[in-house]
Amino acid sequence: MKKRVISMLLATLMVGGALAGCSKGNAGGGATASEDGGSAGDGKVKEFTAFFSVPHAEINDDNEIQQIIAEKTGAKVKETWLTGQTAEEAVGTLIAGGEYPDFVDAGDGSVQMYEAGALVALDDYLDSGNYPNIKEFFTDQEWDSLRQSDGKIYWIPQFSNIYGEERVCAHNDEAFWIQTRVLKEAGYPKVETMDEYFALIEDYYEKHPTMEDGTPIIPYTILCEDWRYFCLENAPQFLDGYPNDGSVIVDTDTMKIVDYNTTDTAVKYFKKLNEEYKKGIVDKESFTQTYDEYIAKLSTGCVLGMIDQWWDFAYTAGDALKAAGLDKQGCQYVPLPITIDKGMKNQWHNSGGIVHTSSGLAITTSCKDVEGALKFVDDLLSQEIMDLRFWGVKDVDYQVGEDGMYSKTQEMRDNDADTAYKASHKCEYAYFPQWEGTSRDGKNAMKPEQQETEFYDGLSDDLKECFNAYGVKTYVEMLGTTPAPGPWYPMYTFSQTMTTATPGGTAWRSMEDCKHQYLPKVVMADDFEAGWKEYMDAYNACKPEDFLSEMQTELDRRVAEAAKYEN
Amino acid sequence: MAQQKKDKLSNIPKAELVKQLKRQWVLIVWSIFFVAYGLLFYYAPLVGWLMGFQQYKPKDGILHSKWIGLAKFKSLFSDATYLGVIRNTLAMGVINLIATTIMAILFAILLNEIVGVKKKKVVQTISYLPHFLSWIIVTGILHDALSGSGIVNELLLKFHIVPQAINFFAHEEYFWPIVAFANVWKETGWNAIIYLAAITAIDPSLYEAAAIDGAGRWDKIRYVTIPGIKSTIIILLIMNVGNVLNAGFEIQYLLGNGLVQRVSQTIDIYVLKWGISQMDYSLGTAAGIFKSAVSIVLILICNEVAKRHGEERLF
Repeated sequence: MKKRVISMLLATLMVGGALAGCSKGNAGGGATASEDGGSAGDGKVKEFTAFFSVPHAEINDDNEIQQIIAEKTGAKVKETWLTGQTAEEAVGTLIAGGEYPDFVDAGDGSVQMYEAGALVALDDYLDSGNYPNIKEFFTDQEWDSLRQSDGKIYWIPQFSNIYGEERVCAHNDEAFWIQTRVLKEAGYPKVETMDEYFALIEDYYEKHPTMEDGTPIIPYTILCEDWRYFCLENAPQFLDGYPNDGSVIVDTDTMKIVDYNTTDTAVKYFKKLNEEYKKGIVDKESFTQTYDEYIAKLSTGCVLGMIDQWWDFAYTAGDALKAAGLDKQGCQYVPLPITIDKGMKNQWHNSGGIVHTSSGLAITTSCKDVEGALKFVDDLLSQEIMDLRFWGVKDVDYQVGEDGMYSKTQEMRDNDADTAYKASHKCEYAYFPQWEGTSRDGKNAMKPEQQETEFYDGLSDDLKECFNAYGVKTYVEMLGTTPAPGPWYPMYTFSQTMTTATPGGTAWRSMEDCKHQYLPKVVMADDFEAGWKEYMDAYNACKPEDFLSEMQTELDRRVAEAAKYEN
Repeated sequence: MAQQKKDKLSNIPKAELVKQLKRQWVLIVWSIFFVAYGLLFYYAPLVGWLMGFQQYKPKDGILHSKWIGLAKFKSLFSDATYLGVIRNTLAMGVINLIATTIMAILFAILLNEIVGVKKKKVVQTISYLPHFLSWIIVTGILHDALSGSGIVNELLLKFHIVPQAINFFAHEEYFWPIVAFANVWKETGWNAIIYLAAITAIDPSLYEAAAIDGAGRWDKIRYVTIPGIKSTIIILLIMNVGNVLNAGFEIQYLLGNGLVQRVSQTIDIYVLKWGISQMDYSLGTAAGIFKSAVSIVLILICNEVAKRHGEERLF
């Protein structure tokens, strides 16, 4: 009996603890703009809250540059990022709860936030003329493309917006990546097809089955967790020489939507993966590993190649490789211009800015000081604050030459790759609107990684050697550049907003479910042909034609919309 | 028994009733808190069930959303995925219930046989510690232990039981056993506490009598201990059967992947995926209502079965 009493007591305590945890969490999430005791000299610092539906590194509460920005602009924002949930779950929970942070980027759930009446229309504020930097951020045509069904603007896409001349060095998108040591071993050959790519990896793996320290090498791995399964799924569009429309191919000759899941190229691509899987080149854990496990593998330098988006691995695994000195063993990745056949045009990299109309920074109805919030966004876009956000503090994070060009010492570069330093010192407000391209001084780039001289000087010797061997100076030149194909581009900004409210949206969700399940099976199948047939049967049962016809309608609409501005 | 109680209550004269209430006022005041707690946290949220019969839009709220009757339930049951999800939930729930109950009883009996009080305490404390770990930690440990280079595969390879490492999470047939194993590992010690308590409540003279009759250890377990805790086992079983459809959310959510999603998804995950993520709150609510309805039916059946066999029961 005594034990039962004790267990009851324990149970009660646990319930109490759980409840306390809940209420605490709510208070944090629901806080809105509150005027904080005046810590900055002359005025009070306004405090805002923000939630972004992406995972991201947190910065410390006493972050130095955040403090400097607060002193200059009179405001600071406590940012919260996605942890342990998918973006949709987080946004769905926010809407169900009905209380929001001041700023939000709901990602794919932005339209749902708008439909739930959670967002503030920005038109009147923008037209007031009080926020010149925000107004300048887009052209009238671009602003118009952001209008929702009620004709108003609710969010500001933050990225891929170029000021002045475009300056790119890193290829921030998807590619087949390969470690420089594999290319070096083979004498830096020209690589154009999947067959050549895997042949290189196989040769290297045969000669070097382990790392210098004895860790077994994983020749090729595929990230396949949740939404990140694009690493497996969308390669057929690139292999056919089309850009990242994301969910479909747009045939530019006929202006028709093409489904890349069922093309001959798709069959060839998955068949190749299937062969490599049987040979033991494709990591056996590919389809069960989590994102964290994947990054951990990449960080040890033992993965020779993979297909991924640069932003998905470079800032985590890339920094870890540098910090562990593995760049000296040639473990850094470069992209290769791979297509399904030789001599095809590739569009792994597109130049020019893209307005990601489907999501952006929005202000919610819970925000009590919309003007103050917009003022802060406006200030963030001024050149002084842009430099603070991305270059850092002068003479601490960068130095200015006599010609006015910014550069970094090696120590400053090392700091940039140091997570502890970044958390305590750097504050990019990474999901607030930001410029790419050339600074308003006309010389420097808006961001250090786009400053050509600084970029090249900061490369490891192995990367420099590799780039020199191919006669290029940047990642982008490894692939070549093509301008974006047309004003409709990219189509994924539409498919991301689809919901189960339409037959097309329902088909889209079912197709994703089906691909999540069958694509790994196809790659692992003993009998590829049978596996593919089984997959195609399941795929066709999802009614992809519903999805494709809605995509075609949207494509036609976008083309017609763009035609209005041509006159 | 329930019938008898009711009769008794109505047979009491009014004056007597008032007197009894007066005598028990302290108890009644205390119980008000718990009734209020139950009403607030268990019954008030049921208003949200209305969403299951609406095309719910957050902007309009429950008051102004369109009523659509049973349309959401119809679309649920025409969805093959949902039927599969019900199967998974039931299967994992039943496997977990049986595995954890049997293991807990076995463990309690074994623990009871340990002679030294100190040793017993140490073993018991260690055994229920995993209960306090959150699922995210348990699944992390599992993921590492069962990975290609994890301890399980290392052992299997070392003793040449398998030719090459098994990727446990890539095969549908391993998923339910893994989930059951994780539940057993985490909850055995904790669940055993209540059986241990029941065992200590058994009259020691029964053991003495058995010993005089020449019963050994094994016979004592068989003829005294197990019959002695039978009623506890049955009551707990009935209560837990209502929880069968709560087969879990975290563990399947955290261990699942595309390859095994056909067998890994439970009703809770389905609700999250279509109700919250796709913001079809009505569909999610409908799925949840169905789950509750099935749970109630299960409890009723189990209670009835216990009644037929003349065992202890809830009501």
